[in-house]
Amino acid sequence: MNSKDKEQDLQQPQIVSFDDDYSIIRRFIDGDKSAFQVLVKRHKEKVRNIVYLTMNNSALVDDIAQEVFITVYRNLKNFRFESQFTTWLYRITVNRCKDYLRRMNVRKIFSPLDESFEVSEYSTPIENNDISKIVMDAISKLPAKLRMPLILKDIEGFSYQEISETLNCEMGTVKSRIFRGREKLKEILQPLEKELL
Amino acid sequence: MKKDTRILELLSAYLDDELTAPEKAEVEKILSTSLEMQKKLEDLKKTKQLSSRVKKLPESPFFETRLMGAIEGQKRKTSGSRKWLPAASLAVITLIVMIVMKLNPHLLDQVWEGQKVALAGFYKENLQPVLTAANLSNEDIFNFAFNNELPLDDSRRQYLLLGYDDSGKEYFEIRSSDQKLDRGSYKEFVTAMNLDDKQKETVDSIINSYSKALEAQVLVNDKNTVAINPNVWNMRKALFADLLVASEKMNKTKFDRIVPKGIDENERVVVVNAVSKLKNSTGDQYIFITPDSVFEDKYVFDPKIVEKELKKVERQLKKHEEKMQQFTFQMKFDSAFKKYAEAENRHSFKIVLDSNICRVDIPNFDQTENQILEIATLDPLIEQATNNIHFYAYKIPKIEKSKSEIKIEYYNDDSIYSYVVNYNTLNIDSLVQVNGGTDLYNLENFKPVKPSDDTMLIKYQFDKNYYHRYYSDEEFKRQMEELQKQLQDLSKELKNKKIRVHSEVTKSPAK
Repeated sequence: MNSKDKEQDLQQPQIVSFDDDYSIIRRFIDGDKSAFQVLVKRHKEKVRNIVYLTMNNSALVDDIAQEVFITVYRNLKNFRFESQFTTWLYRITVNRCKDYLRRMNVRKIFSPLDESFEVSEYSTPIENNDISKIVMDAISKLPAKLRMPLILKDIEGFSYQEISETLNCEMGTVKSRIFRGREKLKEILQPLEKELL
Repeated sequence: MKKDTRILELLSAYLDDELTAPEKAEVEKILSTSLEMQKKLEDLKKTKQLSSRVKKLPESPFFETRLMGAIEGQKRKTSGSRKWLPAASLAVITLIVMIVMKLNPHLLDQVWEGQKVALAGFYKENLQPVLTAANLSNEDIFNFAFNNELPLDDSRRQYLLLGYDDSGKEYFEIRSSDQKLDRGSYKEFVTAMNLDDKQKETVDSIINSYSKALEAQVLVNDKNTVAINPNVWNMRKALFADLLVASEKMNKTKFDRIVPKGIDENERVVVVNAVSKLKNSTGDQYIFITPDSVFEDKYVFDPKIVEKELKKVERQLKKHEEKMQQFTFQMKFDSAFKKYAEAENRHSFKIVLDSNICRVDIPNFDQTENQILEIATLDPLIEQATNNIHFYAYKIPKIEKSKSEIKIEYYNDDSIYSYVVNYNTLNIDSLVQVNGGTDLYNLENFKPVKPSDDTMLIKYQFDKNYYHRYYSDEEFKRQMEELQKQLQDLSKELKNKKIRVHSEVTKSPAK
C-alpha cells in the first residue's frame, strides 16, 4: 500500500460518517420515518454518555436522552445541512442538560445538599471502579461552564472546534475553561492524590 | 489577561495538541528552560488521564423502542386535541402536562400505548417456569397450596400471593419478603397429621406429579416479568384438595380432626375431575406484570423448549466449570410502579400499590376453557382443613365461653383434655387490679395473680403462645390493649352495679 492509499484510508471514515448522517436525514425528510431510527441507533450512546457525565445521575439519562431525540425528531425537517448533524445534536443535548441542572439547582435551595463526597472514606486501596466514581463525583462538583468543556474534551474526545460549536462559545473561551476545569478538578482531588495517581 | 494565566492555558492546550505553530513553539521554548512549567505540564497530564478513566454508561438495548413509543404517543395526543382546544385552555393544559411530565418523566404509559406489540414481545422473551428459575422445592410448592404464597426468586426476596377479594374475584400481589404472610407450612401439616418419613415421601410424590402442570402456571424472566396463568388459582385448590384426599388414607384418626365432617363422595368426584382437567390442559392466556405495565396476552409455553435450553446451559456450565449466576428477581415498586397508584382503571386491571406490595385485581378475566366451576364447592373444605391444620399443629387449647363458665379443651397425643371453670365465682379483673398501670402486652412484666383458678390467668397461661405464634407484635399489642379496655369496662360496670344495688337498698327505707 503506498502512502497515497494510506492517506485515503485515513480520510475515508470521516467523509462516510459526514455523508451518512446527511443522507439519512434526507431520507427522513423525504418521508422515510425508519431513517430516524437509524440516526438514533448511531448516536444514542454518545448522547446518553454526555448526559450521564454531565448529570452524574444514571437514573436521569434515558429521560433526558429521550427528550433530546424527541426535539430532534420534531425539528429534523428544518435541518439546514450547514453544519454537522452531530454538532446540532450535541448542542441540544448540552442545552437539555443545562435545563435540568438549572431545575435541580432551584430544587437544591429547598432541600439540604447531600454531602456524599467524603474524602476521609477512602483510606483503603482504591479499585478501578472506585476511581471512576470518585472522578465522576469530583467532576460533578465543577461549575457547569467548566464541567461541560472538560467532559467533552477529556472523556468524549471532542476537538476545541467541536466544543466551541457545541457549546456555542469562542475557541479562546473553550481553551480557558478546559484549563480552569482541570485546575479545579486537581484541587478537588488533591486529598486523594496518593491513592489516585 | 495575566501573562502567567495565558501561558498556563497554552500549556493545557499544548497537551491537547490544539495550538497553532507559533504558539506551540512558544510553549516548547518555555518548557525547555522552566522546570516549574514542566512540573505544571505533568500535573495537567495526570489530571487529564484521571478524567479519561471515567467509565462510560452501559448500552441501553431498548432505548429506541421506548423513544419511538413516546414519539408515537405524543403524535397521537397532539393530533387528537389540537383542533379542539382554544389557545387559553391549551396554555393551561401545557402547564398541567409539564407538571405531570415532571412528576412522571418516564412516560412509560405512553410507551406502552405506542409500542404495545414490541414491548409485549420484549417482555415475553426467555420466560421460564418459576419452579426452575427460583429453584422451588416440594416444600415451597406445598406451602403455596397451603398458604397461597409462592417465592419468585432464588433468594426469596419476593413472593407472589394469590387471593380472593370480598366479592370472590381473584387478585394477586407481589410482595417483598418482609411482607410475607407466612400463614402456614408443610411442617405444620406434617405435625398435625403426624406423618412419618414414608408418608412424607408419598406427599412428595403427589407434589411431584403436579410439577409439570404447575411449571406452566407462573413464568418469570430476567426482565422482571411475571406471567401468571389464571389457571393457577384452580391448580392451587386442586393440589391442596388432592393432598387432603391422600392424607385421609395415611392417618384417618388425625385426618378426622382436620376435616371432622370427612370428604363426601361429591367432593371426591370434584377433586378427581379437577385434578385430571388441570393436569391435562394449560391455557395460553396469561397475565403479564412487567416493570412497564400489566397486560393480558396469549403465550404458548413449550416445556420442551425450556427443557432443551436448560440442558444446553447445564452442558455449557459443566464444560466451562463456571458457577451459575443466581437468578434474582428484582422489582422496584417505588420507582417502577409509582405511576400505577394514579393509573387505576386505565387498563383492564385495577392496580393498588404501596411501597412493598403491588396488588393487581383481575376483573372479568374470561378464560372459559379453563374454568372449573365446580371446584368452588371445595372452598369450605379447604378453609376448614387449613384452620384445623393450624390448630392441631400447635396443640393450642380451644376456649369456649358460655353464660356461666369457660371450657378449655386442649389436645395431647390422641386424647382431648378439658377444663371447665365456673365464671361467676371468679374475680375477673384480678389481672387488671394486680397490674394496674403496667404494660399489659408485655407479659414479662406481669405480676402473678394469687388465686390459682383465676379465669384470666388461665387464659393468659394458655393463650400466651397462641398469640406469639399467630400475631405480629403489633397485632398482639392491639389485642392486649383491647383486652385491657374490656376488663376496665367490665370492672366499671361491676362497680356501677354494686352502687345501684346499694342505692336501691338505701332508697327503700325512704319510700
